[in-house]
Amino acid sequence: MTGHHLAGFAWTLVRTDFKTRYHGTLAGFFWALLKPLIMFGVLMGVFSYIFASTPNYRLDLIIGLFLWDFFGEGTKAGMTSLHAKGFLLTKARFPSWIVVLTSASNALMTLGAFILVIVTYLALDARLPGPAAIAMFLLYLVQYFLIVLGISLGSSVLFLRYRDLNQVWDVVTQAGFFIAPIIYPMAILPERVHFYLYVWPPTPVIQFSRAVLISGTVPTAKANLFLAAVTGIILATGVLVFRRYAPRAAEYL
Amino acid sequence: MIEVNGVSKAFSFPDVRRDTVREHVFGLFRPPQFRVLSVLDAVGFAVKAGETVGIMGRNGSGKSTLLKIIAGIYPPDRGTVRVHGALTPILELGVGWNPELDAIDNIYLIGCVMGLRLSEIRTGIDEILAFAELAPFANLKLKHYSSGMAARLAYSVAFKAVREVLILDEIFAVGDAGFTLRCEERFRQLSAAGHTILLVSHNPEIIATFCDRALLLEGGRILMDAPGNTVADRYLELLTEPAEIAPEPAA
Repeated sequence: MTGHHLAGFAWTLVRTDFKTRYHGTLAGFFWALLKPLIMFGVLMGVFSYIFASTPNYRLDLIIGLFLWDFFGEGTKAGMTSLHAKGFLLTKARFPSWIVVLTSASNALMTLGAFILVIVTYLALDARLPGPAAIAMFLLYLVQYFLIVLGISLGSSVLFLRYRDLNQVWDVVTQAGFFIAPIIYPMAILPERVHFYLYVWPPTPVIQFSRAVLISGTVPTAKANLFLAAVTGIILATGVLVFRRYAPRAAEYL
Repeated sequence: MIEVNGVSKAFSFPDVRRDTVREHVFGLFRPPQFRVLSVLDAVGFAVKAGETVGIMGRNGSGKSTLLKIIAGIYPPDRGTVRVHGALTPILELGVGWNPELDAIDNIYLIGCVMGLRLSEIRTGIDEILAFAELAPFANLKLKHYSSGMAARLAYSVAFKAVREVLILDEIFAVGDAGFTLRCEERFRQLSAAGHTILLVSHNPEIIATFCDRALLLEGGRILMDAPGNTVADRYLELLTEPAEIAPEPAA
């Protein structure tokens, strides 16, 4: 397939995924936004009392929730992407990574809508950080996407062999929601455990994004290198696993 | 145009199939016993440009696996396949649609997979629907289609997508008499236009009529490589003989 052809195929996959998921309507798309928003409402109602002394708790919470939502939805869709598109894999030979790559599109759209809202809100509140901070935020999002892509590539081929992998992943993400400092400020935990929380990939992305967006402070070079390294390791592992198992994927459908 | 050299393929089935992480974890101390089913055994043949070659054989003789290997969907265990030209496979039709999407969106998906560009699909979509006689149902979700309608649609897309080499599994087995006639007509056109065609069928008449040459597969080996009508006759004889399918246990 040529690049032009591949782009057309990718667009068709994104378009039909959107249609299947939201019945082709924008109203359907709002359901996707509603999930993190309702979570925000409920969690805010409870936890803003507990963390009343934490400055910007609401902003921290909503940024954390939407970034988390992207991770959860993106990896879930990615893991089952090859299985869900099995009807295409047995039809002809084509680069199957395109199916995994486009599986995150719905989650990406939700995230995109949120970013628009949060940036507009910050601008209206006259708290919009400078261009350097915004650029850093976008860089974190790109790395976040690559992390989700790496996990999706690896797990999509493994899911064909281990059909309960999605349930294992459900448990991991459920625990992961509390390992990442989404509903609580990281400062309430002792310093010595911080490193372990940062090993869970959503943690650095959420923390760094909050830092650049809300206070406009860019994390240290060491911290940024750490995130880049985590991204590289996850993406490389995912690509390796995918390359090893994808050629025989059709046999496991 | 197509060169198949010493292609072998075996599928291994564990005696107790483990499909989940749980089963693997609990089965750590009981190594699984595998049975190996050899599907293809050193199959080799060549198809010249413009030739129409048929493949016959009983169920389980390895026909569909061979087509999937040539189409690049399965990798061979041993041997090589070379196809000099763009290949359009039509395999397992009728299954393999997204039931939640209408005919048009499904045509876009399958069309892309079969190698059509978006612009080609856009300009060809009326023709595709007309060939399948499904224009009035273009916006109906595939889940409401009958199996015959779905299969007609699949052929229609594939016939549109054909480049140089066409691979067909059980053509003419679907649809009513009118549709079968149109398929045969289109098939003759493609053959006359110089396309290379590889065709699997259980129907001796089709093999005898359409194929310059045919292969008879039995137990994963080529039993016979001869003109279409000769192979068709031998196939009918073979059907009355007892089958010899013996899965070999792995070492």
